[in-house]
Amino acid sequence: MSHTNRNFIIAYIVLVGLPIVGLAGALKSGRTLAPPISVDGAWTLQPDPVQLAALPCAKSLVSVQDTTLAISQSGKNFTLSFANWPKSIGSGRVEGTKLTASLIPPDVWTSQAGCGSGRELSIVATVDGKAASRSLLGTLSVNDCPSCATVRFNGFRQAPPAKGER
Amino acid sequence: MLNLFTLVLQIAVILAVCRVVGSLFRLIHQPRVVGEMFAGILLGPSLLGWIAPGLSAYLFPPASLGFLNALSQIGVIIFMFLVGLGINPKELKSHGHAAVLTSHVSITAPFVLATVLSLYLYPKLSDDSVSFTSFALFMGAAMSITAFPVLARILTERDLLGSRLGTIAIACAAVDDVTGWCILAYIVVLIRSAHNTTSIWVTLGGILGFALIMIYGVRRLLRRYQTIYRERGQISENLMALMLLLVLASALCTEWLGIHLLFGSFLMGAIMPKEQKFVRYVLDRFETVTVTLLLPLFFAFTGLRTNIGLVRGQEMWMYCGLIILVATAGKLGGSMVASWLSGMPAREAAGLGTLMNTRGLMELVILNIGLDIKVISPALFSMMVLMALFTTFMTTPVLELICPDRILRARPATVPAEAAVPTLTLELESSERISA
Repeated sequence: MSHTNRNFIIAYIVLVGLPIVGLAGALKSGRTLAPPISVDGAWTLQPDPVQLAALPCAKSLVSVQDTTLAISQSGKNFTLSFANWPKSIGSGRVEGTKLTASLIPPDVWTSQAGCGSGRELSIVATVDGKAASRSLLGTLSVNDCPSCATVRFNGFRQAPPAKGER
Repeated sequence: MLNLFTLVLQIAVILAVCRVVGSLFRLIHQPRVVGEMFAGILLGPSLLGWIAPGLSAYLFPPASLGFLNALSQIGVIIFMFLVGLGINPKELKSHGHAAVLTSHVSITAPFVLATVLSLYLYPKLSDDSVSFTSFALFMGAAMSITAFPVLARILTERDLLGSRLGTIAIACAAVDDVTGWCILAYIVVLIRSAHNTTSIWVTLGGILGFALIMIYGVRRLLRRYQTIYRERGQISENLMALMLLLVLASALCTEWLGIHLLFGSFLMGAIMPKEQKFVRYVLDRFETVTVTLLLPLFFAFTGLRTNIGLVRGQEMWMYCGLIILVATAGKLGGSMVASWLSGMPAREAAGLGTLMNTRGLMELVILNIGLDIKVISPALFSMMVLMALFTTFMTTPVLELICPDRILRARPATVPAEAAVPTLTLELESSERISA
């Protein structure tokens, strides 16, 4: 074996072979990492009808149960919007199994519905279940609205498109 | 339902903005394609949607984006065919050990660093619907890719295609891209098979069978194209249409097999005959419409999916900076060290590293696949798009700084510029490209 070939083989082992061994080690150790729970996707919310009816702006909040809540997640943070309020995009965070989020509903909703203008709608929920059948159990509330009681709701994730489907 | 007025208006706006921004980037000595990539970001929620949400909603209503996406995907299918057509991995053999080592290190170094970075980013930017292995492998593939066409464009502009630096860079980029796409194909199969009833081994077997049929069967038939071109000096419209049909059929096969449309079109290009004049002839037939019309739609669609607003707060910008740092250290640093150890002078080795760090359009193609299959989150997608823009933008000024023309001109050329393999260069207005 020539001197050049020997040097090439040594350089190849050091610069290519050893990093590949390191790669295998990194892949193995990464399997123990715990990422945030997934809430990404489309959700159907079912607010408690009795509590909902007691709100001054109940008529507008009723639409929440007929529409889809879309969540776009990036790690612990996510953005959310209701299908019938496409211009109102809120944000939230997942810590463990606890989900908190808020969004400002459209002006027309807050001004006409009796919940006051520019007030945030808050969502606090607990995420439950396996990835395939994940559900939410929590409350909806209107911030800075003393006459607005919190409304309990259940949420169900709609069947997501299979990974890789476009 | 298709609103033709909206679609035509979108295309007109995208073409106008891409041409204007592309021309402005030419003024600062950047390839036009970098400007067009940037124009796509400007049209998305990061700028237009932020400063004029009403106009943005009027121009790009969410319901209309499916048609824009479909058109842009057709463009990317043809683009990937042209990239495959311009790639000739056999070139690597002619450059000996230096090119082999440089090429392989320029893949493994960024790949390993990206995997290590994934240990940090996975718990912060992903979720439990994505396995760590898929996440890390995707990050590795995305960081180890080189933008073959943008690289070719920069080398052409600096008249370096025939230089030692240019030929080694092109050969290494070819190997990087083929390897990167193979890894990406595996990741897509891995993710899709987790949600399908078909076993991963059946899928892999199908893909292997398809690749063997293409390489040992279809490739021989494709040689007829070259023979006909040699005899007649041209290829009839019917035969060109048949070529396009074969590209689409190959794309459909790989999609059906469970990977992605783009792998099929890339493979079809890679197995086409590689005679210089034939490749140039085919590129000329497809390039104009693809580069001037369809690719800007892809840039715009990518820009519409990129929301820099998601990268907010010091923490997120730190992740973004870390991604850029690791991508550059792995690709630029890895290629530079390997070529320097192989005997290349230090400045030239740094120049090669800088060229290999160009990710450009190829990175955007990969990132869009990653977002489609949900292996990366929207925020990480935006960070990676910023990384692609940054590493592509830095190539020309950094190359000029560390490897000025006067130094490179002093090195003996290994291949006459006119004999260099023609490839897609993403530019149609320079006289040297048209006369090539």
